[in-house]
Amino acid sequence: MKESGAESRAGAGASGGPVVRGLTLEREASLQERLLARDERALGELVDLVTPWLLGVAQAMLSDRDEAEEVVQEAFTIVWRRADLFDRESGRLVPWLLRITRNRAIDRLRARRRRTLKRTRFETHAAAEAGWSPATEPNEAALPGWQVHETVHGALRELPEDQLVVVRLAYFEGLTHSEIAGRLGIPLGTVKTRLRLAFDKLRGRLASIRDWVT
Amino acid sequence: MTTHEWFKEHRTAFAVRSLEADEERSFREHLAGCAECRAEVERIERELAWLPMGASPVRPRPGLTRALVEGAISVRRGGPRWLMPLGLAASLLIAFGSWTWSLRTVASARDGFQRERAGLLHRLSMVEDTLGIIRSAAKVRHANITMGGRQGGLVIFADERTHRWNVVVYGVPAPEPGEVCQFWFITGTGMVKSVAVNTGLNTPAFLTLPMPPTGGTVMGAALTVEPAGSTMDRPQGEELAHLMM
Repeated sequence: MKESGAESRAGAGASGGPVVRGLTLEREASLQERLLARDERALGELVDLVTPWLLGVAQAMLSDRDEAEEVVQEAFTIVWRRADLFDRESGRLVPWLLRITRNRAIDRLRARRRRTLKRTRFETHAAAEAGWSPATEPNEAALPGWQVHETVHGALRELPEDQLVVVRLAYFEGLTHSEIAGRLGIPLGTVKTRLRLAFDKLRGRLASIRDWVT
Repeated sequence: MTTHEWFKEHRTAFAVRSLEADEERSFREHLAGCAECRAEVERIERELAWLPMGASPVRPRPGLTRALVEGAISVRRGGPRWLMPLGLAASLLIAFGSWTWSLRTVASARDGFQRERAGLLHRLSMVEDTLGIIRSAAKVRHANITMGGRQGGLVIFADERTHRWNVVVYGVPAPEPGEVCQFWFITGTGMVKSVAVNTGLNTPAFLTLPMPPTGGTVMGAALTVEPAGSTMDRPQGEELAHLMM
């Protein structure tokens, strides 16, 4: 397994020290242990490492920076207070954080819809594109985790266009099957079939990602 | 399609949360009793674990990462969502208090507002502290209490992190005149007298107690009825509840 080492980029992060790039299984396990031991520096390191990605998924779904930051705050609060809930046998720390963030964002989206405060973003496809399109600026490519982003993005780009659209709506906008069918004007069964095919392909492509090393 | 086949078909949809709300509820209920679906959903979640990173990263605003750390660590600044209604209620009360007070005189409004705000913030702080103990309680014990034909109880939330207990006494009538309900710690060296509990109210008595400085290891607690003003250091009266931790 590749070791990330202590490569750092300029500036200090929330942990107060240099931002350490990369996340190996060993480092992830160590962070988990330190979080359980209430080591605030461990939380700082984790925040430095994953905040851009959590903000990315939350903002893509909510289209609201303030709300996205609130969701990310909730996710870190859960990790800090309930690190004991994390099951290392069945999952990984960063994916767990990503899942918490996405679930919180979906909860907010659905509460928003229940209040019938639908945003105009739900009527336009263009804005949603920004949610998962690759950033090409060199400074973005220097982010820890960029390699995983590229792998995921590559897997998404390999999907046929009709499958990519339903994945984007379901996964990155939090729409349900019937909402997607309504949005695209296609039968519910078609939505389900496209999603099943797409996610089967993505599972095959993404299951091999292990270490988050840049 | 059988019921189980439907669930099999929709495992991925459940894992990525694209089911309708009622379907999601049904699926969750099904998972509780279906090890096969549970294992498969966990596998799908693992395989798609990195998919959220398909979203473009967003650089945090300056100072945000530090605020996130402080917010997660600090109860007051980054409390869980269930504390938000408390904060909102306190804010509303503060605003309302300020408004009514200002009808009398602008000069006194500021003082009144500040006093009320300080009081509410103090109460909010106590509520947060209390909830903090309840949330992190390593042990929770309950005992029924029957007194004067009424059914009540004693609940103890023991927080080993802060070495404090939250004690709730509910549904217990007031003792006879000249008597009090006395709370005792049961320690390794005997009973240690704690506080008199104000029972007989419509609302439960809620106490936050540190561990006694003497007596050694605390093993449990008791609630008795004692003569008011008694200086005895051992229980003499009727025992209402006895709890071992």
